[in-house]
Amino acid sequence: MKKSAGFPLTALSAVLAIVGLVFYFINCNTNYFIADGVNPGVIGCTVAAIVVEVLLIAVAQKGQKTWMDILPVAAPVLLMVGFVLFLVSRINAIAAIMTFTNSAENMADLQSCIISLACLLIGCVVAVFASFFDITKEA
Amino acid sequence: MKQDSTGRHSQRVWRGVTATCATVLSLSICAGTVVDSFRTDIDKFLGTQSTKIVTEDADPATVYTYTSDYSTTTELLDAIEDLGERISEEGSVLLKNNGALPLTQEETQKLSLLGFSSYHPVMGGIMGSSLTANTGTDADTVDMVQAFQAKGFAINPTLQQIYTSLESTYTTEVESWGGTTSYLNITAPSIGSVFSSKEPSQAAMEQASAGWKDTLNDYNVMIVTIARAGSENANYTPGTAGVDPTQNLNQTDPLGLSDDERDLIQAAVDAKAANGGKVIVILNNSSAMEVQEIQDNEGVDAILQVGLPGGYGFYGVADILSGAANPSGRLPDTYAVDNENSPAAQNYGDLEWTNANPETSINSELVEAENIYIGYKYYETRYMDTVLGQGNASSTVGSTTGSAWNYDDEVTYPFGYGLSYTTFTQSLDSLTVDKEAKTVTAEVTVTNTGDVAGKDVVQLYVSLPYTDYDKEHAVEKAGVQLLDYGKTELLEPGASETVTLVADMQDMTSWDSSADNAVGTKGTYMLDAGDYYFAIGTDAHDAAMNVLAAQGQQTAGDAAKVQTWNLAESDFTTFAHSKNGTAVENQLEDMDLNYWMPDTVTYLTRSDWEGTWPKTYENLTATDEMLDVMDNDNYQITANGDPSSVTFGADNGLTLADLKGVTDITDERWTLLMDQIKLEDCLIRTGFGGTSTKAIESIMSPETIQNDGPNGIYSYPLGQYANTDTSSGDPCAVDPSDPNLTYKMGVMPNETVIGSTFSKQLAAEYGRVVGNYSLWSNLTIHWGCGTNLHRLPYNARNHEYYSEDAVLTAGQGAAYVAAAKEYGCIEAPKHLAFNDTEVNRTGVAVFMTEQQARENELRGVQAIIEDAGALGVMTAYNRVGCFTSNSHTGLMINILRGEWGFQGLMSEDFIQDANYTALKEAVINGITMSCNTGDSTMEAVSEKWPYWTVENVSQDATLLAALKQDMLWQNYALANSNAMDGLSSTSRLVSVRTWYDNALTGAQIAFALLTLAGAAMYIRAAKRKKS
Repeated sequence: MKKSAGFPLTALSAVLAIVGLVFYFINCNTNYFIADGVNPGVIGCTVAAIVVEVLLIAVAQKGQKTWMDILPVAAPVLLMVGFVLFLVSRINAIAAIMTFTNSAENMADLQSCIISLACLLIGCVVAVFASFFDITKEA
Repeated sequence: MKQDSTGRHSQRVWRGVTATCATVLSLSICAGTVVDSFRTDIDKFLGTQSTKIVTEDADPATVYTYTSDYSTTTELLDAIEDLGERISEEGSVLLKNNGALPLTQEETQKLSLLGFSSYHPVMGGIMGSSLTANTGTDADTVDMVQAFQAKGFAINPTLQQIYTSLESTYTTEVESWGGTTSYLNITAPSIGSVFSSKEPSQAAMEQASAGWKDTLNDYNVMIVTIARAGSENANYTPGTAGVDPTQNLNQTDPLGLSDDERDLIQAAVDAKAANGGKVIVILNNSSAMEVQEIQDNEGVDAILQVGLPGGYGFYGVADILSGAANPSGRLPDTYAVDNENSPAAQNYGDLEWTNANPETSINSELVEAENIYIGYKYYETRYMDTVLGQGNASSTVGSTTGSAWNYDDEVTYPFGYGLSYTTFTQSLDSLTVDKEAKTVTAEVTVTNTGDVAGKDVVQLYVSLPYTDYDKEHAVEKAGVQLLDYGKTELLEPGASETVTLVADMQDMTSWDSSADNAVGTKGTYMLDAGDYYFAIGTDAHDAAMNVLAAQGQQTAGDAAKVQTWNLAESDFTTFAHSKNGTAVENQLEDMDLNYWMPDTVTYLTRSDWEGTWPKTYENLTATDEMLDVMDNDNYQITANGDPSSVTFGADNGLTLADLKGVTDITDERWTLLMDQIKLEDCLIRTGFGGTSTKAIESIMSPETIQNDGPNGIYSYPLGQYANTDTSSGDPCAVDPSDPNLTYKMGVMPNETVIGSTFSKQLAAEYGRVVGNYSLWSNLTIHWGCGTNLHRLPYNARNHEYYSEDAVLTAGQGAAYVAAAKEYGCIEAPKHLAFNDTEVNRTGVAVFMTEQQARENELRGVQAIIEDAGALGVMTAYNRVGCFTSNSHTGLMINILRGEWGFQGLMSEDFIQDANYTALKEAVINGITMSCNTGDSTMEAVSEKWPYWTVENVSQDATLLAALKQDMLWQNYALANSNAMDGLSSTSRLVSVRTWYDNALTGAQIAFALLTLAGAAMYIRAAKRKKS
C-alpha cells in the first residue's frame, strides 16, 4: 500500500513526542527539578498521543477506515494538553532560573526542559498538519 | 471513482480543520487554567486588575491618612534627583589627594576620561538594585559623561570617539535562554564563572587611534575610571582562581588590577610627566578593591571612590571634582591589600557536602570560623595585639608578605577612612556611661581648621576589656568596635559644632553562650569587669591607635581622644532582658557546626591567632541527624489540641478599615476581626504571597503590592498602580497624561554609598523620599533595606548592603525605615539572616557561633526592629545552620518576634521549590507568606503543597493558631500602612473581568463552535461519500 503524506508527518510527530517525553524524564531528574517529581498528566497525555499515532500508522496499513479519523484529531489535542501541563509546571522555575537563580548549572538543567517543550509543541503542530492527510493512499 | 476521491478529500480537509480547531480549543481551555494560576503576575505585567476594593460615600478627609510632602509628581521627582546627587556628594570617599582636587574652573574644561568605565560606568547592580534609566520625565537619569557635561565640564572628544570605536572589545555578552544580553559596562561573574578584564589594552587603543596620547596635552586632567560590578546571584572567586586564566594579565584577584588597567593608569601618569596635568582615579565599585598599588603610585594624584552612584550620583561626583561639594564620605569597609588573606576568606565559595542531595536543596556549607573577626574587627584587633604582644598576633598566618604579620602590609585604607578638602580637629569633651538608661553619651566638638567649608564625621569606638574570663569562656572582643557615629552640618572655616552622640549600650555588650541567665538556662549579654576605652578617631585604625596611646603604648595615637570607664564587677544581668522585657538565652546553638559534629570546627580567637587560624572546612559529610533536619520536613501536621477553640469565619461585622491605625495589637478588636477570617484564606494567603498580599474578602483586607530594591522602588512604573481618579479626593491622585507616570525609581546610589555617607540624616531623607513615592505610586511594601553584612568583598551582592559593620548598618537602616514608615510605607529589612554568599544560596548551610551571629549580622537588624519599628521582614535563601532560615524557631520566633518584639508581616525570599519553601514550618515560625504565586483556590495551593488542605490542617490546633497569628501580624502591618488609604468600613471587594478574560472566553467559544462546525462538515462529507 502506497504511503501518503500523512505517514511521514504522523511518524515525525510521534518521534518528536517520544523525544519530548525522553527529555521530560531527563529534566525531571536534573538537580534543579528533581524535587518537583513527575506530572502524571504530562506523561499520560504524551504517551496517549504516541499510542494514538502509532496505532494510526499501524491500522492504516490495512486500509483507511473512517473510524480512524478520530485519531488524527486526538493526537494534536493530547500533545497540546501535555505541552501546556508541562509548561505550567515549569513557568515559575523558568522565571527563577532566568533571574534569581541563574547559573550555568541551572541553565543546563533548564536545557532539557526547553528541548522537551519544543519537541512537544513542534510535534503538536506537525500532528495538526498530518491530520489533513491520510497515512496511505487509496488504491 | 473521482467523486469518491473528492469525497475523501473533503473528509480529510474537514478532519484537518476539526483537528486544528480542537487543538486551539484545548490550548485556550488550558490557557484559562494558566491564567488563573498566574493571574497576579499577568495583572502586574499588563497593568490590569482582577479585583478591586470599592469605597463609596466616604469622606476623603478621613480615608486618606497619610499626606505627601509634594503636590505634584514633578516635585516628587525633583526631590529624588536632588537627594541622589547629595547622597553621592556625601557618600563618595576621597581616598587620596595630593592637592590635585578640587579642580579649578579652568581644569574642568580639560578632562580626558580614560577607561571604558568612564563612558559606561556601573550605576546600579547588574541584577538587583539595577539602574532604571528614565527618559522623557522630569528627572531623567544621567551617566558620568552626561552629568559632567551638564555641570559644564569639557571632555576630550577624541577619547570619546576612540572608546566608541572600541565598544565591541569591551562588550560582555551574557548568554541566556532566549537570547544574548550585551553589556557595555563591566559585569560581575555569574556563579561558577571568573572575572574577565575588559579594559582595552594600550595596543588596542593605539590601533584605534595612533595619536591618542597627544590629545592628552590639551585635555591634561586625566580621569581614569576602574570599575567592578555588583550583582545579585553573582560572585567573585578569591585569588587567581577567580580570574580568567586565558587572559594572562597578571591579575591575582578579581578585585585587583589587570595589566590592562595598570597600563592605562601608567599611560596617564606618563602623559602627566609631559603635559603637567593631573591623574585622578575613580573607583566605581561596591566591593572593596585591592588598590595598594594605586595608592603607592606617586604619579596618581587622587583617588575617589564613588560606589555605584545610580542615576543622579554623577552630578554629585562632578561637584566633588569641581569643589562645589566637599567630600565627607567615609569607607564602610576595610580596603585590604589582599582580600584573600582575611580569616573569613578561608571559608568561602562552593564548599559542597559529600552527601549533597538536590531533592531537598542540600548543597553546601559555609563555616564562618573567623568568629566575630570580620572586616576591621579582624584587622584592628590583630594590629592591637601585635602592639600589645599578645595572642601570637605577629605570626605569619594571614600575612600578605609571608613574614611576620604587619598591619601596614595588610591594610590600604581602614574602615571609616576618608579625606576632605579641609581639615578638622575633634575633641572628646565628655563621655557619660549611664547603665540605668543603657546609653553612652559623648560630646565631641568639631572645628573646621581649614579654609573651605565642609562636613566631618564623628566616629565613636569602644574597646572592651578582654579578660581571662573571656578566654576561658570563648567570649571574643574586638580591639575596637564602632559604637555610634554622627555628622556635622556644613562648617565654615573656623566654625565649630558640638556633636552629641547617644549610643545604645546594648551595642557594646558581648554574648556569652556559657553564662547563666535570668531564665535558668545559658546565654546572655554581658559586660566584663575592667576598663572600657571610648575613643573617637578619623577611622577605625586611628581610634585603635588612640586607645593604645591611652593604654600607654608607643603609637601615633592621641590619648586625649579617649575616655575610660571602669566596671568594677562583671555584669550579667543588666542586659539579660531585651527592650521589651524578654529574657534572652541561647537561641542559635545549632548554628555552631560543633553542635552537630563535635570538635569539628576551631573558631578563631584573639588569644591565639596562629593556633586557631581558620582552616577551610570542605568535603564535610552531613550526619544523619543533620540530614533529618535538612530534608526540610520538620513539622508534622497531627491531630492535637482543640481545633474548635480556634475560631474561623465568625460574623463580627468588622473590616480591616475599622482597625486602621490601631497600633495596639492586643486591642480586642483585632481578635474579633481575625475570628472572621476563613481558614481557606489563611491557607491560600500564606502559600501564595508572591508579588502582593492579595485581597481577603472575609476581613476586607486590600491587595498590597510588593516591590524590590535598595536603590529605590523599581519593580513597577510610578503610574502602574497610581490613582488616576482625580475626583476621588486622593491627594496623590495623578493625571493619566502625566509624563512622569512611566518613571521607575531604581535610580538611587547603592546602599554602600548610603553607608559611606555616615549620615543618619541622609538615610532618613532617603526614607522620606521613598515614603512619598510609595504614596504617589500606591506601592506599599518595599523590600529595600539590605542588612546583610559585607563579610567579604567577594560577595558580588554587597552593593545591596551597607557595610561590614553592624552598628553602621543598623544606624543607616533604622533611620531609613523609620522615616519611610512616617508615610505608611512598609520598608522592610532583608535578608534575615546570614545571606553572606550568593553561591548555592538556595540551600547553603551557614554555621557560626552565637556570639558572632548576635554581635555582627543580627545587631545590624536589631535596632531596625526595636527602635525603628519595622513592619516587614524578608527571610533569606540560605539555611541558618541546618534549618531553612524561615523555619529556624530560635531566630524567627524567639529572637525576632520574642526578644525584638517584631509584629509585622514576613515574606520568604524568591524560593519557588515546594520542599525548600517549607511552608508548614515557615507558618509555624511566623512567616506570613511564601513568595510563590498561584490561583487563589485551595486546589491550587494544595497541588503545590499536598499537605496544605483544610481537612489535614483542621485537626492541628497548633497550626491553626499559627495561621491565625500570622494573618494577624500581616494584617496588623497593612492596617498601619498607606495600603489602607482610601478605605473605609463600607469598602467592598469587587471582582473585575479583565480584557484578557473576555478575550480568552471569546476564543474558547469561537473555537468550540469552529470545532463543532468542522466535525459537522466532516460528517456531512462522509455521508456524501457514502451516498
